[in-house]
Amino acid sequence: MSAAIEVERLTKRYGEHAAVDGISFEVQRGEVVGFLGPNGAGKSTTLRILAGFLGATSGTARVEGHDVATDPDSARRRTGYMPEAVPLYGEMRVREYLRFRADLKGVPSRERTMAIGRAMELARVDDVADTLIEHLSKGYRQRVGLADALVAKPPLLILDEPTAGMDPNQIREVRALIRSLGGRQTVLLSTHILSEVEASCERVIVIDRGKIVLQGSPRDLAERRGAERVELIIRADVPPFLALEGLEGAKIASCRDIGQGLMRLALEIAVDSNVGNTTEEVVTRLSGAGIKIREVSPAKASLEDVFAAVTHGDDDEDLGADDEGESEEDGEGESDHVDEPAASAQEGEDASETDETETETEGEPRRDEEEVEK
Amino acid sequence: MSGFWAIFKRELFAYFVTPLAYVLVLAFVCWQGLHFYLLVRSFAQAATVSIDQGPVQAFFGGDVFYYLPLIIICPAITMRLFAEERRSGTIESLMTAPVGTPAVVLAKFGAAIFVYATMWVPTILYLIIMRRAGEIDWRIVGTSYLGVFGIGAQYIAIGTMMSAVTRSQLIAFMLAAILVLGVFLLGLGEFTLDEGLARDTCSYVSIWSQMGELSKGIVDSRRLVFDATLIALPLFVTTRTIDAWRWG
Repeated sequence: MSAAIEVERLTKRYGEHAAVDGISFEVQRGEVVGFLGPNGAGKSTTLRILAGFLGATSGTARVEGHDVATDPDSARRRTGYMPEAVPLYGEMRVREYLRFRADLKGVPSRERTMAIGRAMELARVDDVADTLIEHLSKGYRQRVGLADALVAKPPLLILDEPTAGMDPNQIREVRALIRSLGGRQTVLLSTHILSEVEASCERVIVIDRGKIVLQGSPRDLAERRGAERVELIIRADVPPFLALEGLEGAKIASCRDIGQGLMRLALEIAVDSNVGNTTEEVVTRLSGAGIKIREVSPAKASLEDVFAAVTHGDDDEDLGADDEGESEEDGEGESDHVDEPAASAQEGEDASETDETETETEGEPRRDEEEVEK
Repeated sequence: MSGFWAIFKRELFAYFVTPLAYVLVLAFVCWQGLHFYLLVRSFAQAATVSIDQGPVQAFFGGDVFYYLPLIIICPAITMRLFAEERRSGTIESLMTAPVGTPAVVLAKFGAAIFVYATMWVPTILYLIIMRRAGEIDWRIVGTSYLGVFGIGAQYIAIGTMMSAVTRSQLIAFMLAAILVLGVFLLGLGEFTLDEGLARDTCSYVSIWSQMGELSKGIVDSRRLVFDATLIALPLFVTTRTIDAWRWG
């Protein structure tokens, strides 16, 4: 049995610019794979080629053994695709639209009503079944797109940023849905949000500037992250360095004055030490020195560091990205870069990026539990 | 051709659930009503009416009132077909469904033809009215409607093609109207040019003389071949254009 997706040396050029540059990967049946990368990395282009919307400049892409270029009908019949912007016909009602899509995808008319009902239930749009699509909010439109992808029960789902524009509750539902599809259906989803990959994918492919820079499980990614971080906001008259002197398992990554006598202190926890214990030790020491602690936030679930390391970490030398970035050596070489450019890039970018993840984590207070269940 | 009916039905839905089809049909019916009224008045005042210059001939292509709305309304019917899908991005969902490009093009073309045909249905009333005043040869009416259909299909095929080359409905409309007008004016060369190859060519593409013949009951296979060519060629170009987007 052929793999769900086989991509070989796939390239898409727009003039001189290569949006996708000779990437190869495979997705086995029943896998849930995250396609991760910054905006403009070539995620959507790759997915569009797989879905049959764009033609590749060179290379091949096969869906369950059917080439998307030479045997498009069979390939598309096996694919449920949800485009990035979720384009829909606004003048139709949700049920009408799904009926049209089911008809178009060759769902026999006897089964259509049931297939539509099932898709609406899975994507949780049954409460807006008779609403005009143009009156729907972004989150609902997104889920109508998901229902469309599901309606013909395709063995492969290709979802381009499925949770964009949803509120935290909807995001949690969709992630749960995607996880529940795994095993029966193959899912390839793209995202630029790391926590999404952690929450729903078994495997992750990181792409940057048209090339694959990393493949592995989210755990592998987490290990590449190196040190975890803990951030504290403290009120201190004395510098906190003294209190933390000789502390094992953690070092101060940065300490900034954020006004009103407050400081933001970032600690890097060494890979081999326990984050919990070290944090306790830090808090004890700080309060022992008379320093008041306002906030302690572990930057635990964040994979931003790895992301930065493997994608933007080599901004000033393209050579690193050219040799596939898959071998161990190469990877280490890249994480070495992290200290200089990535660290500085993070000072600026982190503010916005972590904000994003933080609000998400706030919206999902139960995520840790879910992970434990897993 | 799987997917043809699904798309055909959706296109009709889009025409008749939005005001577009109604506006076009209404405008057309008003125009033809005026046209018919003027014809009836002029024939009522005429002393004699020759056998092949009756009101039916006059109504179907005897004057510019017949051609003018076609040049405007056909591009207006077709302008949204592909341009709107591209602007809103829905073309991406459409072209990733298991359906071939020819089926998409034919379904959209077919739906536009359907709207065009709907537009002509009320004109049957005029014939019924005329019948109360005199004899009507229904075979001539049949060939006249064949001409109506042939010319409309040409113009709609050209409009479909122009809708596929741009994201803007307005530009699609303008391009189609210009091209259709061009073909129409080329045909008029028949009346203005001196005898020779140029005039023969013009007379071959002349829609005016095509309608003139058909409204007298003359069916010339050369005319039908010409119509078929002007339908098939733009539709073929449309198919190629859409396939070409993928490689852009």
